Amino acid sequence: MIHIKSHIVSGLLLFLVSVGLSLLSAIQFMRMHREEFISPSEDLSSKKRLSSYFSGLKDTPGDTDVFVYQGQKEGGNLLVLGGTHPNEPAGFITAVLLVENIKVLRGKVIIIPRANNSGFTHSDPQEASPQYFALDTPRGPRLFRYGSRLTNPVHQWPDPALYLNPSGQKLSGTEIRNLNRCYPGKKEGNLTERIAFGIMELIRKEEIHLGIDLHEAAPEYPVINAIVFHENSAELAALSQMELQLEGYELRLEASPPNLRGLSHREWGDAAGIQAILLETTNASHGRLKGKTSPSLIVEGKDKNYAKAAKLGRLFVPYPEEGVALRIRVARHLASLRALLKSLDDIAPEKGLDIDQLPSSSQVERLGIGAFLKPPKGG
Amino acid sequence: MMTIIYHFLVAYLAVNFIVYLFREKKFWAQMSTVLVLVMFLLRLFLIK
Repeated sequence: MIHIKSHIVSGLLLFLVSVGLSLLSAIQFMRMHREEFISPSEDLSSKKRLSSYFSGLKDTPGDTDVFVYQGQKEGGNLLVLGGTHPNEPAGFITAVLLVENIKVLRGKVIIIPRANNSGFTHSDPQEASPQYFALDTPRGPRLFRYGSRLTNPVHQWPDPALYLNPSGQKLSGTEIRNLNRCYPGKKEGNLTERIAFGIMELIRKEEIHLGIDLHEAAPEYPVINAIVFHENSAELAALSQMELQLEGYELRLEASPPNLRGLSHREWGDAAGIQAILLETTNASHGRLKGKTSPSLIVEGKDKNYAKAAKLGRLFVPYPEEGVALRIRVARHLASLRALLKSLDDIAPEKGLDIDQLPSSSQVERLGIGAFLKPPKGG
Repeated sequence: MMTIIYHFLVAYLAVNFIVYLFREKKFWAQMSTVLVLVMFLLRLFLIK
């Protein structure tokens, strides 16, 4: 009879366990590569891929959906970006709401909900972030991915110690995977720089007049609940701020610093000459003071640490005990978008846009985001 | 080239962990090896 030593048996069993654990983890991680469906409104004119503007992105994880809505009447051309940072869900969800609802009567609206598509395929290491969060629709919950601020290192690596971006700004190494530090991009650059280049090509080819990049920031970050504007958009931003104040929204104005290079609000204006705006809301789920990062924190935004920090005057925005829910943050983005469109029409009527069926901020606050989302697949 | 070298290093270390797993006589040391091996396997196949 063959005698096998016990440590060989346990070694074999544990090896099988490690293969099993790897497989289970692999299935979980690979699921994040599957894009959640976005069901555009009936008035969609065409759906493209970013690679149709820059072929260098074809068949790469950086290629992404571009939704084009062309109105019957001539007007301005607007670009809305969500998902530049996939761990800032209000930007992504606002873009999804637009795609699924709007009807453009005048002008052209182009929406990219997942600007950094690769960033949606993973979550930040050591943050214990959930992979998904659910939004309730009348016909069941719809799942959305909660990704990372950065491009997936599986798609782009290694990070250098220091990163010299295409605009010549020296940044820390990980910023090489941050889309909002890579503008105006590089044709022959790394994946993130090529995504940025693709967006710049879209801006040039579609003759965009106004670009809006939707973001969120941690409550302890000074640039928050803000309109960050290129100097060519100062009047537009100031008028919009007044519009928003009339509606009861406090929004601060932040001029894009000329020496801070590589960001959308700087390079879209400098390199493409368009009016460039970046919007920020309050997101506890990617702040440093938060408790457990959970789907509930992402959607409800309720966090006792931030409520305490606000009471101690350590934050730049109010943070109530009941939290700042995703619907409030999305409503804020929608209100800002509406104010920007109205102000643009006042300043330059030839570049104005008329958008019908744009969910109103008060309705989103009252009824929730799910009321304006298409039902889940099979729902 | 860099990718090939990186893959070679990760594969080399993963194989070493497997060899160690069978040589090691202490059960808890084998368990610790498994925990590290999972991460190396995920990295080797560029999953995470």
